[in-house]
Amino acid sequence: MIDAPAGTAWYVYGVGEDDEALSRIEGVELIRQGGLTAVVREVSLDEYDETILPQRLNDRDWLERNARAHEDVLQAAAAVTAIVPLRFGAIYRSREQVGRMLDERSGEFVAALERVRGHVELGVKVWTDLPTLEGTLAADAEPSAGGEGAAYLQRRREEQKRSRELAARCAELAEETHARLSALAAAAVANRPQPPELTGRRDRMLLNGAYLVRAGDDGLRREVERLAAEHAELGLEYEVTGPWPPHNFTDEAQ
Amino acid sequence: MSTRDLAQSQRGPAPAQLADVLERILDKGIVIAGDIQINLLDIELLTIRLRLLVASADKAREMGIDWWEGDPFLSKGGRDGNGTSIDSRLRALEEKAGLPTKHEEDEDS
Repeated sequence: MIDAPAGTAWYVYGVGEDDEALSRIEGVELIRQGGLTAVVREVSLDEYDETILPQRLNDRDWLERNARAHEDVLQAAAAVTAIVPLRFGAIYRSREQVGRMLDERSGEFVAALERVRGHVELGVKVWTDLPTLEGTLAADAEPSAGGEGAAYLQRRREEQKRSRELAARCAELAEETHARLSALAAAAVANRPQPPELTGRRDRMLLNGAYLVRAGDDGLRREVERLAAEHAELGLEYEVTGPWPPHNFTDEAQ
Repeated sequence: MSTRDLAQSQRGPAPAQLADVLERILDKGIVIAGDIQINLLDIELLTIRLRLLVASADKAREMGIDWWEGDPFLSKGGRDGNGTSIDSRLRALEEKAGLPTKHEEDEDS
């Protein structure tokens, strides 16, 4: 189907139930079909056409603006009702096509809405200052017998051993934290920690977890505080983000 | 986490980090192939960084805690399976130091 260049399309942010509360969200339209509601915005094909979008996506400011707008709409929706977030870039050429999509994937949306209803997603990141953490590992240097060369070699071996111990300790701390937080969540996922190039921090991210918890339940936050207190000597920093719309919990797998 | 950060997170969300938003918006959520096909992997902006994030969808590592892999600081000693290079480096050092190498010791015994 070829539209005129100045045509429009419908960008879908997420799918909820037929809840009147959704109509209070500013700047969006609703497309209702079979008990489900798509939260959409009419967008210009000048910006969102297949031939133009790849360039837009590579414009940092454009991407940030639109990613944040996507998130803002989902935040507003999640604040008033259950909502299933869609990944960025679900764009249809007509309202009818959106309705058809709702019909076709109705089962998936209903199941996902059931899972996330009454819940929010919290993010928990654990950071470590590696030198501080390394300093807390048991010191086990044995005095070296023998000459300078032997001492050097022993130092090298100890360094290697400490590297392995440090990596193991990091994994252990991440696993412990994730296990304790998962126990308080309806669902949990440990995402790949963000690399330093992305975070811009010297500290290393040990854990990048997302947890689906009941809205208003602050048990997970309290557990994070307890963990922070227990690990105060280890140079760890705990960061809670959210509440987020349940981006991480729309798949059945979780 | 410092007490200040905790207090802040309890007061309500501070503006989210762009990385956190992108991680969720571009890599999570239900995937719908709309009428307009876009390939998010084509995003050149933050290219490598985003691909690292997008790669998380592979669930290559259940726990996602393999960040020290390839880290020059943590992996300089080598991890399991990387023994050969350590051995050879050690041997070179041992030879330089005029010490009997492990290799020679094995031959002697």
